[in-house]
Amino acid sequence: MPADPHSRRPAVGEGPVTRLALIGLAILFLAAFLALPLAAVFSQALAKGFGAFLKGLTDPDALSAIQLTLTVAAIAVPLNLVFGVAASWAIAKFNFRGKSLLLALIDLPFSVSPVISGLVYVLLFGLHGSFGPWLRDHGVQIIFAVPGVVMATVFVTFPFVARELIPLMQEQGVEDEEAAIVLGASGWQTFRLVTLPNIRWGLLYGVLLCNARAMGEFGAVSVVSGHIRGKTNTMPLHVEILYNEYNFVAAFAVASLLALLALVTLAAKAILEWRFADQIAAAKR
Amino acid sequence: MAIEIRNVEKTFGAFTALGGVSLDVRSGELLALLGPSGSGKTTLLRIIAGLDHADAGEVSFDGQDTRDRAARDRKVGFVFQHYALFRHMTVFDNVAFGLRVKKKAERPAEMDIRRRVGQLLEMVQLSHLASRYPSQLSGGQRQRVALARALAIEPKVLLLDEPFGALDAKVRKDLRKWLRHLHDDMHITSIFVTHDQEEALELADRVVVMNHGQIIQVGTPAEVYDTPADSFVFDFLGGVNRLNGVIEGGVARLDGKAVRVDGEVGPNGPAVIYVRPHQVELDVAPGDGVPEGKWSARVSSLHAAGPVARLELDLAGRALEAQLSRDRLSDLALDVGSWCTVDFRHARVFPAKN
Ligand SMILES: Nc1ncnc2c1ncn2[C@@H]1O[C@H](COP(=O)(O)OP(=O)(O)O)[C@@H](O)[C@H]1O
Ligand SMILES: [Mg+2]
Repeated sequence: MPADPHSRRPAVGEGPVTRLALIGLAILFLAAFLALPLAAVFSQALAKGFGAFLKGLTDPDALSAIQLTLTVAAIAVPLNLVFGVAASWAIAKFNFRGKSLLLALIDLPFSVSPVISGLVYVLLFGLHGSFGPWLRDHGVQIIFAVPGVVMATVFVTFPFVARELIPLMQEQGVEDEEAAIVLGASGWQTFRLVTLPNIRWGLLYGVLLCNARAMGEFGAVSVVSGHIRGKTNTMPLHVEILYNEYNFVAAFAVASLLALLALVTLAAKAILEWRFADQIAAAKR
Repeated sequence: MAIEIRNVEKTFGAFTALGGVSLDVRSGELLALLGPSGSGKTTLLRIIAGLDHADAGEVSFDGQDTRDRAARDRKVGFVFQHYALFRHMTVFDNVAFGLRVKKKAERPAEMDIRRRVGQLLEMVQLSHLASRYPSQLSGGQRQRVALARALAIEPKVLLLDEPFGALDAKVRKDLRKWLRHLHDDMHITSIFVTHDQEEALELADRVVVMNHGQIIQVGTPAEVYDTPADSFVFDFLGGVNRLNGVIEGGVARLDGKAVRVDGEVGPNGPAVIYVRPHQVELDVAPGDGVPEGKWSARVSSLHAAGPVARLELDLAGRALEAQLSRDRLSDLALDVGSWCTVDFRHARVFPAKN
């Protein structure tokens, strides 16, 4: 076959037909399993007009669920931001006994079913659990109350920040920190002026993902919440209740709010990546 | 500032990175730590800086033990092998870092910081790049930023880990000269790590040769070059002929003939005779065989560019390099293929390693 300089393609890669087929398949898959359901959520929510949609959202129980979800996220995300940064710092920058155990623990919430996570809390803090009687005697209620919902959410969303940061920090090594310390910086100055700027993009991603999950978590929260309307219902739980009551419009109205949140998270991530591409690339060097 | 290092040991797991190292660094000198990769040079430098802790032994600055002095309080300037510049800060902010993190009582006013950083950038000839980021600089420029940043805190000691390692040959030579001038102007006690013998010999006041976590020899470049302590130093410094011979009854022999050697001879057995090319003495071959106690060799190649001529000789099947002046070469009228007699002005012998 004569060598035609115009038909050269990279050694790795397929012919145009294969490529088109692969891309087509991916788009079809995404449309069927992601875009279609998403569209269905919004169309169901608006099926009986905008007024019904709004009514579903402004129902006192719905408002209370929205408020609880925001409260839970406002507690869980900052907590996991601090825990995640601390754990990643320890794992990436120091050698210590039990490091692999800590790594495994961080992954635990990802590897066990959220329902189990919730059950563990019930077994620990429920009325018949290990600490239940003691807590009751001291007038503290965790299970079937807001603290339980917060704790379950913190547990389930723990890995997001740490998982984002550990590889980044390991890759960056400790030389920058050492340079800062030799120059006379304190530990806190080193963290604030050197470490934090080096990890800020990874941290932001981690926080975005953590937040999305904190607001959307169902399984673990469902076990510990007790589904008390207007009290311990988060948005996902409220959606389920409405749905089971055949109140589809209201269910999908609240669901569309959650879906909107997911879309905003994705958009924020994309915009950040696009807007700060240079800095992100520089930070990785 | 003078630094005394006494019996410093450091192990990583079962591996001994430093096995009892003692060294006196004189105030104001420029010292080279020279050794192959993995010989413990960086480890020693990091222990001096306080970035690592010795398992045993002590390091003192001007007679004061440093055990309880954290790295941040040691006032040491450290230039990292890969510079470790803060990538999200401009060149200016990198250099200003050490001044800005000082405690409030000691921190200069922002105006003084600006002036000081300005001076430093001028000194390293980077004033025009003050607002660039490290990723926008060449290797040599990054190196100089790292140096300016280290000097900003007016360190009593400057430690440089392979300062020219990552640079190309031309930039390297320029920076080397420049660093020497800088040191002569400032007289900060400085220690630099290198695995390049040429760099160490050319730049340093004294050279410390290390191998396997031990100091093998300390001396001026001339001392180290002229009288290497052992075969390792000879081999590592390079530029030397190694001739396989034997030691018999306290005499080194090459092809049965005795070689006059400096220093100890060592026990009987196979041996390696080390001769520097400029210590090889050539003479015209007489018609009637080899003179008593000398060797005969044939010229296999000849490079006569520059003031010094280099000859490759074949001495009974061994390659031997010799150096002599162009004048001497024309006196001898040697050419490729001609025979000559060979003698050694100075040679050393060490038992052969198996
Ligand atoms: N943090 C560490 N953990 C384990 N081994 C190390 C560590 N640092 C250095 N070493 C080992 O110690 C030896 C000496 O290292 P180093 O001082 O960096 O050598 P050099 O700078 O002379 O090349 C090397 O074999 C290296 O693998
Ligand atoms: Mg090294």
